[in-house]
Amino acid sequence: MLRSVAPLPILHKSQSVSVQFFFQQCLIGLTNGALIALVALGYTMVYGVIGLINFAHGDLIMLGACLALSLVAALGLSMAGPAATWMGIALLVLLCGLFCGTLNVAVDRLVYKPLRTAPKLAPLVSAIGVSFIFMNIGLFWIGSADRSFPELLPSANLLPSDSLQFNWKDLLVVIVVVPLMLGLSLLVRATRLGKAMRAVSQDQTAAALVGIDVDRVIASTFFIGGFLGGAASVIYGLYINTIGFQMGFQNGLYAFTAAVLGGIGSIPGAVLGGMVIGLVRALSSAYVGERWTGAIVFAILIVILVFRPEGLLGRRTREKV
Amino acid sequence: MPMLEVHEVEAGYGPIRALDRVSLEVQEGELVAIIGANGAGKTTLLMAISGIVPVRSGEVRFRGTPINGLQPHQIVRLGIGHSPEGRRIFPRLTVRENLELGGFTQPNSSQLKRDIDEACGLFPVLGERMGQLGGTLSGGEQQMLALGRALVGRPKLLMLDEPSLGLAPLIVTKIFEVIAGLSSRGIAVVLVEQNAYAALKLATRGYVLETGRVTLTGSGKDLAADVRVQDAYLGE
Repeated sequence: MLRSVAPLPILHKSQSVSVQFFFQQCLIGLTNGALIALVALGYTMVYGVIGLINFAHGDLIMLGACLALSLVAALGLSMAGPAATWMGIALLVLLCGLFCGTLNVAVDRLVYKPLRTAPKLAPLVSAIGVSFIFMNIGLFWIGSADRSFPELLPSANLLPSDSLQFNWKDLLVVIVVVPLMLGLSLLVRATRLGKAMRAVSQDQTAAALVGIDVDRVIASTFFIGGFLGGAASVIYGLYINTIGFQMGFQNGLYAFTAAVLGGIGSIPGAVLGGMVIGLVRALSSAYVGERWTGAIVFAILIVILVFRPEGLLGRRTREKV
Repeated sequence: MPMLEVHEVEAGYGPIRALDRVSLEVQEGELVAIIGANGAGKTTLLMAISGIVPVRSGEVRFRGTPINGLQPHQIVRLGIGHSPEGRRIFPRLTVRENLELGGFTQPNSSQLKRDIDEACGLFPVLGERMGQLGGTLSGGEQQMLALGRALVGRPKLLMLDEPSLGLAPLIVTKIFEVIAGLSSRGIAVVLVEQNAYAALKLATRGYVLETGRVTLTGSGKDLAADVRVQDAYLGE
């Protein structure tokens, strides 16, 4: 009797380990997903107001990460105490956000705005051009080799459990991303600018005819999308700890995919899409193998889009007559 | 001095010249009808006055000041409202948000609230549908919303493009009633209409536009009685 019962506790233990392993992967996935979502917002917001896939967005974030790296060195953050480190990180988020936001507005003014009435492919190809220009600036800025981004935060686990890890870096992602997303949703839903943005995204001519300065709304959208990307670049550096001049391409692609998966043009869709992609990436890396991750993510994307072409939270588009 | 003066205006799209030296005037408080066949340039004329379609030559003056070359939102802020063809309400915003956007240039929020209440007084159905998305309204309700949205902007001159198009006769009557009442509120109106008979009956003066040119002008009564107008537009 006793002997036959004996193996059970062991089974229990291994079960609880595998359950905890699963939760751990989910936690990693959600944290990564939050970062992807922050980048995806930049794609979806710009698409929402002017219908442009801003292919330079990933590389904009790469430039933000370059600035963050330079600022960490200039401010001597690697040697700062805990309080100064957190203040330094807040400053980095602010400065890189302003930098990416302003750069995004400048690119819109110089490159996309003159093409506002041109066929859609013209600004799209220009965006690819801007992406290459940014990459070259990044190459010039930090060189061709990957650069390691200093570990500014302690890696101590914040959870009481041994098998479930959630450290300061993970917490950083949450405390930067969540307020930014809440702020964005408040801005879009409750402010005058937000209402103007929604109006412009639905009908530019009608928006102009109620007295909205459409160009200013578009510029504000580029700024906000760029600002979120700049914040993401700082977190990326601190979280992944490696940056390189080509990082914009793959990260941009995942974020763009997240935006499409969630329903391009939809702000909650971009957040959901980011979370889904983060989860799928983490789980497939853990259970199937890292090298299959890309294939699995995109296979799921294709399957979802076959059944829901408008994305998870997108709306079915009907062509205007 | 006329309130609105359009002087020898040319405008178009690419190689197409949609307006060929069009001139017209609107006096303070006047209701001016513009009639003409499809493609005559009526919508382009309103779009050119609003700054959506660029004026290539000629001049548009509002109360003596040239306004061609200004941005559309600047022209709206001068007091020129424009309810465009096809209503173009914001389909995924609520009725309330649509009306609030009509008062986008109104800095005083309690005034905006009064203006929205007033629009709902003209069209009670809007008050009943405040929380509903604009795109879920019927065609007639959408037209009322478009008109209400334009009025919340407190225009001094309101341009209406085909407000009766595709609507049931009962609703057309209601819409024209409201339009007729605008001059008593001191709002000058430019009314573009396919329904030439109804428009000319309401109008102090009218213009007939044909392939981008003004071919006839006169009082509403005279134009309605004109044989050429009757043959071409009144379907008699």
